[in-house]
Amino acid sequence: MTRRLKKTTKKKNPMQTAFTRFMLVVAFFILWIGAIGVRLVHLQINQSEWLRDKAQNQRRDELKSKMLRGTIYDRTDRALAMSVKVKSLYADPREIEDVEGTAQAVAAALKIKPDIILKDLREGKENNKRFVWLAQKLDEEAAQRLNKTLETYNLRKFDLPKFKGLHWREEQKRSYPYKNLAAQIVGFSNSDDVGLAGIELSQEEVLRGNVIKRWQDRDRLGRVYEESEVTREPPKDVVLTISHSIQYKVEQALEKGAKASNAKSGMAIVLDPKNGEILAMANYPSYDPNRYTEFPTESYQNKAIQGIYSPGSVFKLVTYGSALDSNLMTADGMINCSKGFIEVAGHRFNDPHATKTMSYVEALAVSSNVAAIKTGLSLGKENFYLYAQKFGFGQPTGIELPAEAHGLFRSPETWNGDSLASMSIGYEIGVTALQMVSAYGAIANNGVRIKPRIIKEIRHSGGKPAVVPEVIRTPIVNPEAARGLRKMLRQVVVKGTAKRAQLNGYTSSGKTGTAWKYNARLKRVDAGKYVSSFIGMAPAENPAVVILVVMDEPQGGARDGGQVSAPVFREIAEQILPEMNVVPDANFVQEDLTAPEISSEIEIVELPETEDLKGEQSDQSQKIVSEKTTVGENKKDIKKFEKPVVQETKKETKKESKPPDENKKSVKQKTPVVSPETKNKSSTEKVKKKT
Amino acid sequence: MPKKKLSAKNKTQSTQRGDSIPWRYCILTLCCGLILVTGFFFAARQHFSSIDFGIKNSKLRKQIEELEADKRRLILSKEIALSPAEIKKAAKKIGLTEMTASNIEVYRPAPKEKSKTEKLIVEKPKLDFLEKTELLKKEDKKPEVKIEKKPSEAKEKSEAKEKPDKTKEKVEKNKAQVAKK
Repeated sequence: MTRRLKKTTKKKNPMQTAFTRFMLVVAFFILWIGAIGVRLVHLQINQSEWLRDKAQNQRRDELKSKMLRGTIYDRTDRALAMSVKVKSLYADPREIEDVEGTAQAVAAALKIKPDIILKDLREGKENNKRFVWLAQKLDEEAAQRLNKTLETYNLRKFDLPKFKGLHWREEQKRSYPYKNLAAQIVGFSNSDDVGLAGIELSQEEVLRGNVIKRWQDRDRLGRVYEESEVTREPPKDVVLTISHSIQYKVEQALEKGAKASNAKSGMAIVLDPKNGEILAMANYPSYDPNRYTEFPTESYQNKAIQGIYSPGSVFKLVTYGSALDSNLMTADGMINCSKGFIEVAGHRFNDPHATKTMSYVEALAVSSNVAAIKTGLSLGKENFYLYAQKFGFGQPTGIELPAEAHGLFRSPETWNGDSLASMSIGYEIGVTALQMVSAYGAIANNGVRIKPRIIKEIRHSGGKPAVVPEVIRTPIVNPEAARGLRKMLRQVVVKGTAKRAQLNGYTSSGKTGTAWKYNARLKRVDAGKYVSSFIGMAPAENPAVVILVVMDEPQGGARDGGQVSAPVFREIAEQILPEMNVVPDANFVQEDLTAPEISSEIEIVELPETEDLKGEQSDQSQKIVSEKTTVGENKKDIKKFEKPVVQETKKETKKESKPPDENKKSVKQKTPVVSPETKNKSSTEKVKKKT
Repeated sequence: MPKKKLSAKNKTQSTQRGDSIPWRYCILTLCCGLILVTGFFFAARQHFSSIDFGIKNSKLRKQIEELEADKRRLILSKEIALSPAEIKKAAKKIGLTEMTASNIEVYRPAPKEKSKTEKLIVEKPKLDFLEKTELLKKEDKKPEVKIEKKPSEAKEKSEAKEKPDKTKEKVEKNKAQVAKK
């Protein structure tokens, strides 16, 4: 035994055995690591893509979402259109086992009949679909309510609602908090957030939110532990020139006026002539863009830029403006109105109101057609055409709204013999309300036309301005001519056809227009249908605003622009001028007068420019006003004449066309027609006698 | 063959050498293992903490998104509440009447007081004879506005005038009493 032991101790050197063992372990490790290395190389080089995809699919979710659409603001930073996040509930029929139970639970939560949901889910299950809509665009509160009602206990699910096979999808919803306000300007977008009308359509590229991809890595419990996304530029916001307050006042006044005159439709524009900014643009009837599908498609149309109408006498501004600029007349110059009619190329134009020689100021005040035709003829075809083009007719103004109409303005080669005469008084021409207000804006701005604009600026989502539209100025007539025209327009309000446009506290000027409508079926003008308009500016000397009011087909008693549209102008101007901090340049009458009560006798005396006289004259003028407004106190006398009965003649007009201006007596000569204006006049005379 | 006998000294040396080498290797292996394990431990700790931070981060991000969405919803509801139509409804509920031209207060700048030099410089506008006469006529034709006071109103006004006198008397009496005291 001892020998054996000795042998073994002799044979095995402990050092060597330890070393051998160590080397064996090392070799094993090297082999092991080498094998792992080889495997890793194989996995990472040959199978890398396949493995990466497999791994990512197991833990990574790819989410696609659309950035919130840009906001549309008014000039005072009030949101007229904005998007908010909403949730839509959908089902994955492949995950659902009990289809009937699910349908009933969802129907009970949504408070709808289960049949529809059941049908959709069954169809989805049969066709192996992965997506069936259950409820779309629910707000946060409704979504939370649904989450509570659909909660199933003992269900392991990462996302809400805790119900097998049901999921939420984040979407966005466009909201218009001011509802009908500026609906035709702002427009609307559809359920896919694509702009379909108004600014929403014209600024689609600016407002549209890009689609962003987001990846979320989840752990085995479904918790997101890593997120990554492709960053893209957020959409921009659009700031409009309109003021929500002014817009509201204009819309209210327009609606009231249209209802009072029983008009088919109406439109009004308020323009700042100094910078071409549109402060308000209203259409009646309007619609609510939040539920645009419930309204007729006609109401979507912005008639102020898309509708074309015959301007009638308001177009005389172009005639006189061109003549003044060409030094063919002066405002105080005289013109012979040739006994109230003129014949041009076999066409007789009648004008019973102006039958004598009178000044141009008076001629415009009574809206003499003969004077305007004579002035137009003195200008000549080419000149008239050039000036009308300079005023902006026959071409779009370039406002940032979609589908702006060009208007109808033929070139002189296609004119008839009497075309120039007709155009001089606003016939044979089609204009948009915006073109008209822009032309008047030029006169208010000393003969310089500024391209009207509705976008104040386009800004980044942070508030930093990105684009500010350029102000484009085009001189049309010289400042002297513009001043002369303003003087003429002032007399229209003071003495002429637009006495109802006299303002309380401010001086005003403007022009009325009443034109027959063209009937496409009859292929001639329809003597029973009118477009009554008034375009005015205030204060008269240094206008801060130009306001246009157009009423389409007013029915009932009054139909003239001076009776139908001028009171609306008055209501608008009296409300918005104080808001715009325009300093009053005339005296205030403390009586609350409605338009019919303002007799033609009331004359608001303008304050003189000199300081010394101001106090004296203002007192004096106040006295005059107070004297004359005593007429309004005797309401009994006036009320007798408030509702005149106007009988319409069915007799059609022959070759002798007499434009239905303010001088409509010529059209209805045989029937005793008394306009409210003349009746009021007579009433005031009676009251005067009494007093 | 004669057997070599190792001396006691050599024996102890050889046993010492044989014992010391494996221990050294063991310690070295242990150290390496320890370093490796520590490394793994720290790496694992960092990995889990990064996952934890990632979870927290995503939660916070979601919270920010929710808050922003809430903010937008609040802005929207604010805008709805501030829309003129809603304000009008609320005003009518309170009992306010609609604004008319007569009850709008307009800012009128106060007339500037001119300095003496300005007054001297500014010439008074020369009025024609006709204008002057017209102005004078208008001034002469001042309508005399007679306001008929109702008897009840007149009484009230007279009472209102009398009231301050009574108070004055009372004050005087009180003063006198105080002086006497």
